[in-house]
Amino acid sequence: MDTARATRADLLDPATIAALGRIEVTARWIVDGFLSGLHRSPRKGFSVEFAEHRPYQAGDEPRHVDWKLAARADRWAVKQYEEETNLRATIVLDVSRSMAWSGAAARLTKLAYAERLTAAIALLFLRQRDAVGLVRFDDIVRSSVPPRVRTGQWVRLVAALEEPGAGRASHAANALEAAGRLIARRGMVVLISDLLMDADAVVATVRGLRHAGHQVVVMHVLDPAELDLPQSNEALFVDPESGVEVAATVADVRAMYRATVRDAIAEWRRSFTAYGASYEPVITDAPFGVALRRAFSARQEAP
Amino acid sequence: MGFLAPLWLLAGVAAAVPLLIHLMRRRAGARIEFPAVRYLLRAEREHSRDLRLRNLLLMLLRVAAVLLITLAAAHPIIRMAGGGHARTALAVVLDNSLSTSAVEGGRPVLQRLQARAREVLRRASSTDRVWLVTADGVVHGGSRDAVLDAAAHTEPFGGAGDLRAATARAATLVRAAALPARELVVLTDGQATSWRDPLTLDDLPLHAWLPSAPAPANHAVVAVRAIPARWTPRGAVRARLLASDSATYRITLEGRTLARGIAARDEEILLRAEPPERGWSEGTVELEPDELRADDVRHFAVWIGPAPAVSLHPLAGPFAHSALDALVQSGRASIGNEIAFAPADEATKLPALLIAPADPVKLGAANRALERLGIAWRFGAAMRGESVARAADSTRALEGVTVSSRFALTRAAGAERTDTLATAGGAPWIVSGPRYVIIASPLAPPATTFPLHASFVPWLDDMLSQHLSGEGGIPREVAPGEQLARPANADALELPQGGETTLSGDSLTAPARAGTYFFLRGTTRVGALVVNAQPAESELARLTPQALAVKLGTRSANVLTDSAALSASVLTAAPQRPLLAPLLVIAAMILLAETLITAPSRKKVV
Repeated sequence: MDTARATRADLLDPATIAALGRIEVTARWIVDGFLSGLHRSPRKGFSVEFAEHRPYQAGDEPRHVDWKLAARADRWAVKQYEEETNLRATIVLDVSRSMAWSGAAARLTKLAYAERLTAAIALLFLRQRDAVGLVRFDDIVRSSVPPRVRTGQWVRLVAALEEPGAGRASHAANALEAAGRLIARRGMVVLISDLLMDADAVVATVRGLRHAGHQVVVMHVLDPAELDLPQSNEALFVDPESGVEVAATVADVRAMYRATVRDAIAEWRRSFTAYGASYEPVITDAPFGVALRRAFSARQEAP
Repeated sequence: MGFLAPLWLLAGVAAAVPLLIHLMRRRAGARIEFPAVRYLLRAEREHSRDLRLRNLLLMLLRVAAVLLITLAAAHPIIRMAGGGHARTALAVVLDNSLSTSAVEGGRPVLQRLQARAREVLRRASSTDRVWLVTADGVVHGGSRDAVLDAAAHTEPFGGAGDLRAATARAATLVRAAALPARELVVLTDGQATSWRDPLTLDDLPLHAWLPSAPAPANHAVVAVRAIPARWTPRGAVRARLLASDSATYRITLEGRTLARGIAARDEEILLRAEPPERGWSEGTVELEPDELRADDVRHFAVWIGPAPAVSLHPLAGPFAHSALDALVQSGRASIGNEIAFAPADEATKLPALLIAPADPVKLGAANRALERLGIAWRFGAAMRGESVARAADSTRALEGVTVSSRFALTRAAGAERTDTLATAGGAPWIVSGPRYVIIASPLAPPATTFPLHASFVPWLDDMLSQHLSGEGGIPREVAPGEQLARPANADALELPQGGETTLSGDSLTAPARAGTYFFLRGTTRVGALVVNAQPAESELARLTPQALAVKLGTRSANVLTDSAALSASVLTAAPQRPLLAPLLVIAAMILLAETLITAPSRKKVV
């Protein structure tokens, strides 16, 4: 059991797995590991419009097995239909400068973590025949990949992740609206951001998306040092985006800072869940599997 | 409150460190890029009042912790009121000198001092260390009851003792005791002569008590002497009295009254006598009893024997013959065979008064005679040329005597003890030894003017009666308790009250009681030890309390004349408690509080 867990890439330390290869490679390992940990097939809801075959997996209903193919080619496969793969999801990724920060050299930056998480979620969704798109933003929408389900979509998404960003501000509202526009009908919007931005516009946009029938999942990316302040005594803290400077004695303000962050997270959670959106803090030293499970759970609840 | 290591208090300046840190905070530090600055701003904005209070509290806690730790390092001790007195090293100096035996108000002063000592000692507890040091140098230590008993049974000493030394000894004892409090109590009659020189006791707490009444009038025999030390058999007793008026005296010899009389103030008593007693005898000069009985009697000893019987050799010369005739006619000598008075070359026995031969040819015979008699001295080369004779002692007997012709006197090494009685030209001229006297010149005017000099006959009398007749030795006069060398020929000491005590070692301590003690060799008296108090001990004038305080030489001397005040003053040091542990506990609690305040919250943020 322990050996099996140890070899699952979704449960490895994020920095360790990131060091093993490029995003598209590591994302595959993460998703493979994640799927091998599920006890039943993630698929459900089959329709009549055949799309393609896929290998039979334990847990698939026997009635969906293509018996003719089994008899002819001696391999087990189940039929998939266009209708049940019709969830259209768009991942909205914050690539502002504040995301390109890590509290420790041995940890991934929030952006690096978020990019790998985005790739893994996209791959997971695509494997379930969901159409996945991507919107990258900072102070403006930097790039946009419309949701598609066809082969090659994931490659396009990964290529988009490698485009530059890191603007001096975060305007998630515009990006969320753009994501909403990319999804023609009810779908799913996944916001991956450190949420170092004004809450009102974001919450208002999320509310709009919810009114439009979209499921919204917010993944609040946090570095551990943002929860507890960096280890220092007297320091001048500088915001990389706004340039605002604050002098503080860490030992003196740590407890109050922690309380403030705790309050801020609670406020975000309260604001998003008030409109039916899902909110999850994601810490950059936690294995990708944790965040992936939350995204998967939201997918399962999607229409 | 006191400190055992007060230098550590200097470390208290370290308390300024947290204060400076508090004042200088946020003026230095690293520049850190931190995206979540908005949370930091919000935290400071929302908790600014709490932050200020917290920082102030932390600063106060840190300053307090530093101060408490430095205070603890200085080992503070605090006196706690109530609960008895602190453990104390207490030494009581009890003046038992002769003067304290003076009677005042119907009882000796010493009894009053003993009562004060007992009152003080009774205040001591079993945890205290107590000593009793008396003026005669005796130290009593141990339990409180043992010291109380010693105080009750202290006897007056026969002399002055050394009260200053006793006090210094007591101070050494209490200083050496590792107890939190030290006290010295001096109980004295305040006799001025006991405190001639001031002590140096620094800051040792000292309480002293002395009688408030002036000292009683006193008369005493302050000096008595037999003149000469050996009577053959005639002699004299010379005495001096201390009296404010005329005094009735009595002189005794071997218990027999030699004379009675009344001496005027400052009059010297001189009594000539020719007693029938023979050998070593003891005598006294006594006064009518007064408040201080002990100094109303003073002792003396004298050796009494018949006039020396001298056989004068015809070759001794006419001057020797004339001088001896004068002594015989005055009864100071007789003709006989006891002492030989002859040229050295004619000497055949001892004791003898030997003179150098007139003829240098007889020098060899003289030296052979000396050798035969066991005398260490030898005549050497003839020395001519006039030189002045000088007596070795302080007497002026040879003043004006010149020497024109003499023989050099040389002495063999390792021989018996000898004395040079006179020199001429810086060389020995008259020498003496056991039972002999040698003059290195013939007694003739061409050789020396001595036989023509007025001092010759008295000198001859002194030589015959004091140096050459009977047993040797003169009485030793000492004060009670004084150390002296043991006479080589004595093996026991005869006590005045009867009995004897064996002597051993090279020295002995004079008895504490005044009196005449005789040295014994077997059963024969071979010398006398006369023990009398120091004359100054009879001067009873007292110091004032202020003057005594100065003499005691301590900044914290508390000199009292009231017994109740003395009891209330001693052993009042409150018990001391070390504050080290409580201060460290408080400092630890403060540091714990500081740690709790600064420790990061364990409450999870996410």
